[in-house]
Amino acid sequence: MIRIIARKEFTEIVRDGRFMWTAALMVLLLLTAMLAGWQRHSSYMATQAAAQGATNTQWLKQGDKNPHTAAHYGNYAFKPLGPLAFFDNGVTNYTGTTVFMEAHKQNFAIASPAADTSAIGRFGELNGAMILQVLMPLLVIFLGFTAFAGERESGTIRQVMSMGISRLSLLWGKALGLGSAVLMVVLPCVIIGAVFIAMTDLPMVGEGLATRIALLTVAYLAYAGIFLFLTLAVSAWSRSPRTALMVLVGFWAFTAFIMPKTAAEISKAVYPSPPYGSFMADMKAHRARGFDGTPPWAELGKFQGQMMREYRVSDVKDLPFYWTAVRMQRLEELDQRVFDQHFGAVTAAYAGQRRFQDRLGLLAPTLPLRSISMGLAGTDLIQQQKFQDDAESFREAMVEKMNGYLSRAAVSLNGVSSASNYLVANEDVFAIVPPFRYQPPALATTLAEHWMNFAVLAFWLVAAILLALLGVKGMALERD
Amino acid sequence: MLEAIDLRKSYGDHAALEGLNLKVKAGDIYCLLGANGAGKTTTINLFLNFIEPTSGTAMVNGIDVTQSPLETKRYLAYIPEQVMLYGNLTGIENLEYFARLGGHAEYSAADYQSFLDRVGLQANAAHLRVRTYSKGMRQKVGVAIALAKQAKALLLDEPTSGLDPKASNEFSALLLQLRNDGAAILMATHDLFRAKETGNRIGIMKSGRLVQELSTDEVSHADVERIYLEHMH
Repeated sequence: MIRIIARKEFTEIVRDGRFMWTAALMVLLLLTAMLAGWQRHSSYMATQAAAQGATNTQWLKQGDKNPHTAAHYGNYAFKPLGPLAFFDNGVTNYTGTTVFMEAHKQNFAIASPAADTSAIGRFGELNGAMILQVLMPLLVIFLGFTAFAGERESGTIRQVMSMGISRLSLLWGKALGLGSAVLMVVLPCVIIGAVFIAMTDLPMVGEGLATRIALLTVAYLAYAGIFLFLTLAVSAWSRSPRTALMVLVGFWAFTAFIMPKTAAEISKAVYPSPPYGSFMADMKAHRARGFDGTPPWAELGKFQGQMMREYRVSDVKDLPFYWTAVRMQRLEELDQRVFDQHFGAVTAAYAGQRRFQDRLGLLAPTLPLRSISMGLAGTDLIQQQKFQDDAESFREAMVEKMNGYLSRAAVSLNGVSSASNYLVANEDVFAIVPPFRYQPPALATTLAEHWMNFAVLAFWLVAAILLALLGVKGMALERD
Repeated sequence: MLEAIDLRKSYGDHAALEGLNLKVKAGDIYCLLGANGAGKTTTINLFLNFIEPTSGTAMVNGIDVTQSPLETKRYLAYIPEQVMLYGNLTGIENLEYFARLGGHAEYSAADYQSFLDRVGLQANAAHLRVRTYSKGMRQKVGVAIALAKQAKALLLDEPTSGLDPKASNEFSALLLQLRNDGAAILMATHDLFRAKETGNRIGIMKSGRLVQELSTDEVSHADVERIYLEHMH
């Protein structure tokens, strides 16, 4: 029975004029978005690979100099993206792609792609995820708002119900028919996207690509299902198709346009991030006055006394390592606590904002889907954070390796006066710092971070189905 | 086949139907006459279980419709004033869809065509979309649906109003065919002439009550009109 109803619904939808133009528009937009996304991603990855290669060479070929000076010369980390970034570029347009890693200083990621585009590009570029998140629900609504309300208005619902079929069969049949029509539009585009990825020779960043694609498909299907059942519920409840359309389009605008922007603003108000303008100055002042109030020079004095007692020497010149280098490394470690506190506050604020937004997903199903989509594509803030953490670990190791080398190799310079206390190192020494490699979070980590969003999405689907069941149960057969 | 026992339906203080007792046997064409609001459509809606009775019982084939609403509908066919079909499907597709909904998946394409031929739909119309059909053509598809459903009882709600005399006449001929096949037919109508011509029994309703029943072979056309008008005053 359900199949009979589904087949008739499908035939009717496909024959309707609405279907032709909405489907054509949708396919056109999706394919354009995927092609544009692919083009953008390929060129980004080419730039990233070239820049990372160049900076690695630059580090090695920086010319012979003191290792600590080399640490000042520094190194750059350029963030690579996984292949799914072509489908959903998430926040990557607005987050930095590059971290300058140098001695004594932890830096923010800079050079966001948005800063590089013309004003028109800032309205947000086409990407497949956006089309599916914003326009797929509209497609479902346009094809489905008449499902019950239209049959009630035309009177066919009485004819159908006089045949002796249950309201439940009618609901499932309509859901299946409408779902097939929507899939017929969306699925080919998704397959084309998967083929794009399969054919690519771009480096794979992040593991579990097949699982990611499968989970993305499930999440987007659930999202389409939410709108499908909400559309059927509203159509069963509404007095006329016109009312159904108005209610549904209103909800669509709320969840797909208003909430994503508003949720970010609300979460920022609830969990304020430290002010960017004074961030660096605050951190510098904190470093000068010392992490817990003891200034660095006093700490270093204490450290010197401690070292001299430990090695039983009365002059730093007699220490079995190059004192200047060890002292610099000690300063680095003292500063590190300040960096960790200040950058940690930013990270904590962002995490708070993110958790708050996840909860707002109970009001708008677009929010959890958007987060899941970015997470699986490897383009969300969690992964940006991982990139910055990797860069910071690299920076710490780089400085530590250079200072450590200096402390051992220049021990003979301990007694030499400062004007000539200089050890010159070459490429072989710089090579003890391996090139920067970003390690994206494991899929399991991503899933654990997003469990709330999966739960909220599932909640919406169940709620939508329940509303549809209630809707057809109480559905009037007469128009009034 | 169709039986109403003390059937009542009220909306708040207003009683749409006040204790209707009615029996339509196989081979009967029972015509319900009465002004708008007399309770004719309410009666049909109660047999279809589209509305719940306030009290009393509506039975189809001896089964209470509120107890087994899906089973009783298997025996019923419903033809409203306007048979509503899907405009984007052809006549034959509409017929096939409703036949399958009614639980008859056994028909071939030739069977569907022969149903449409039997009700007199023009041969070339079966494969046209129903959007292009006239009202008379839709009513014929409605009867074809009833035929395909092999309904034992028909509920007709002013099925001929708005049809031209020729189409109305063709429709009545179809009803007689169905009756001869053993169907029980309950028809709400305003057409006194058709009621006397086609029906074998007539019930006159007023303000939710069945005020008089007649056998058409005992009265003339003039009698029917006279009795009807007497009750309307």
